Amino acid sequence: MRSATAKLWWEQIQSVIRLEMKKTLFARRGLWIYVLALLPVVLFAINAAVASHDRHRSDNIVSEGTKRLTNQDLNSVKLGMTSDEVFALLGRPPVHIRWKERKRSESGEVSVIPHDQYRYSDGSHDLLLDFVDSKVTSIQIGTGFTQPDGAKVFAGVFQFFFLRLAIFFGCLGVFMNLFRGEVLDKSLHFYFLAPIRREVLMTGKFLAGLLATCIIFVTSEVLQIVVFTSQFNPAARDLYLYQNHGLQQAAAYVGVTALACVGYGAFFLAAGILFRNPILPAASILIWESVNPFLPALLQKFSVIYYLKSLCPVDIPTPPGTPALLALLVSNPDPVSAPVAILGVVGVSLLALYVSSVQVRHMEINYTTE
Amino acid sequence: MKEATRVISTTDRIVFEDVSKFYGEILGVNRISLAIPPGVTSLVGPNGSGKTTLMNLMTGLVRPTRGRIRVLDCDPDEPEKLFKFVGYSTQFDSFPKGLTGFQFVYSYLRLGGSDTQTAQQMAWRAIERVNLVEAAARNVAAYSKGMRQRIRLAQALCHNPRVLVLDEPLNGLDPLARAEMIALFRSVAVDGCFVIISSHILHEVDAISDQVILLSNGYVVAEGQIHSVRNEIHEHPAQILIRCDRPRDLAARIMESEQTIEIRIHNDGHGLLIKTKDADEFYLMMNRIAMNGVEIESVAPADDDVNSVYEYLVGSDEVVR
Repeated sequence: MRSATAKLWWEQIQSVIRLEMKKTLFARRGLWIYVLALLPVVLFAINAAVASHDRHRSDNIVSEGTKRLTNQDLNSVKLGMTSDEVFALLGRPPVHIRWKERKRSESGEVSVIPHDQYRYSDGSHDLLLDFVDSKVTSIQIGTGFTQPDGAKVFAGVFQFFFLRLAIFFGCLGVFMNLFRGEVLDKSLHFYFLAPIRREVLMTGKFLAGLLATCIIFVTSEVLQIVVFTSQFNPAARDLYLYQNHGLQQAAAYVGVTALACVGYGAFFLAAGILFRNPILPAASILIWESVNPFLPALLQKFSVIYYLKSLCPVDIPTPPGTPALLALLVSNPDPVSAPVAILGVVGVSLLALYVSSVQVRHMEINYTTE
Repeated sequence: MKEATRVISTTDRIVFEDVSKFYGEILGVNRISLAIPPGVTSLVGPNGSGKTTLMNLMTGLVRPTRGRIRVLDCDPDEPEKLFKFVGYSTQFDSFPKGLTGFQFVYSYLRLGGSDTQTAQQMAWRAIERVNLVEAAARNVAAYSKGMRQRIRLAQALCHNPRVLVLDEPLNGLDPLARAEMIALFRSVAVDGCFVIISSHILHEVDAISDQVILLSNGYVVAEGQIHSVRNEIHEHPAQILIRCDRPRDLAARIMESEQTIEIRIHNDGHGLLIKTKDADEFYLMMNRIAMNGVEIESVAPADDDVNSVYEYLVGSDEVVR
């Protein structure tokens, strides 16, 4: 008897998911969610293109150089050295640019200073030397985009853009509309007139929203990882993925993305059922999540971001001099273990879903007052 | 006219017990007590009289502010049980986006837990019943008003419900389709089902109903079979139309009766329009007259219809024809 009921509920949930998926994934009013999800992919793609161009240029400099250089060679150049001394150390420069600087004196006279710019590379670092009167007047060593730096940049984009903005607002757009959108379209009665428990209907709608947001945001996250790692040469990529925990980090990001969809989805589903105007609850949740680090320890636990931050695989460093407020936002002084964090997200989500199920059971169809 | 309190069996009736519904401070319906039997029952009243509220209450789309409702002993708060035997064609003219007519009915059945094959068979059967097979593959958004009305009927009918609730089901239908639908409702009612129909077009109701519930401003002003209701309205004399060849002679005979209040010769000169205090007594008298050799073509009540009854009860201002 119980298994027959469970089977019926599951079939009904599947029916709801089938109906909702089409609406959620292909709704014209949801196009902005795709834009939001794909924005970091575009950012990483642009970065990868620039990095690839720089690497290609460095490779050209190396191949055209007369000597095979090391990082130590590049660092041995000092200010004031003559061009001959530099040539003796590094060989003839593969790239030589001449340019003229126009300088106005205090009396108003314009003088022209000829500059020579030489560029060397060891393959990873580019050295840019500026000469005036055959003496080194400026040294710049450009460090390529290293894996540790890249991982921190990726973590920053994930935590501050993808998690707190893209997924947050994407879930708002999807889950808030599951019931509220149908009330505005005056089509919710289609579901309410069917022989289906309201709680089962709510579960089906939640799972449909979850599936849709996971498809959108997990796909985006995977694409971000692929594009991000594509900027490294194959050997460096293998090193990052298989020896420097790159794969584990990627899996953690995908998991956090899915959990964020669960958590924010449950919150916004409840908000869409409880409130007529979505702006107020959305703003409240955004503020609640943003001020989470400043809340007392107990209240912190009733948010999604508290647990998600603990699950993020790479900490974002706070350089000395970072404002205290920003440092508090970035840091996670009281992280919880991964199992506790996962249970925490699931726990607050279940709490929000329970509130939704009670409310949806008593929901009335009264389109004229909307 | 109304029975304020009574013992009501809930197992084979749609029962409202002292039900009120307020939308904030606005009255939907007030202190409704009803026990609706099987057959075609029409909810009659002008716009805003509470017909749709009553239907939404019995289908759980809205909840009573006070009172209790049972639909064949089922609580409307339990849609998972209620809609196994209730079908509701609402007045809401919106549909889930992107569905064809067939998908609209089919999805409804699948939501109820029917398997693919059963749902397909039942959906096609319902679509056939409302004559919409040719348009079933088209998107509902492209349907005319009449087609949308019919696909809603198909959805309400598709699972062979015992209780069929239809809110203004004939709106938007052409005369032929109206006749077909009326025949369909009758056929459903003949099988012992409950067909609850709301309408503000009173002459339409006459053709369909076994009983009527007359509503005005959220109150039930009368309920029951229309003839019984009419007989209870003593303050308005019954009007009877008599068709005969010699109306003046007949009028002279009828004038002798104490029950007769007013006699008018019909405009075409071939009949009389009588107002009488006691219709039953009058009919007996007509039998006696006929036996005495006066030729009478027909005798029929002239105000024994919903329209007249509603006018007598509520006033001519509220009657919608």
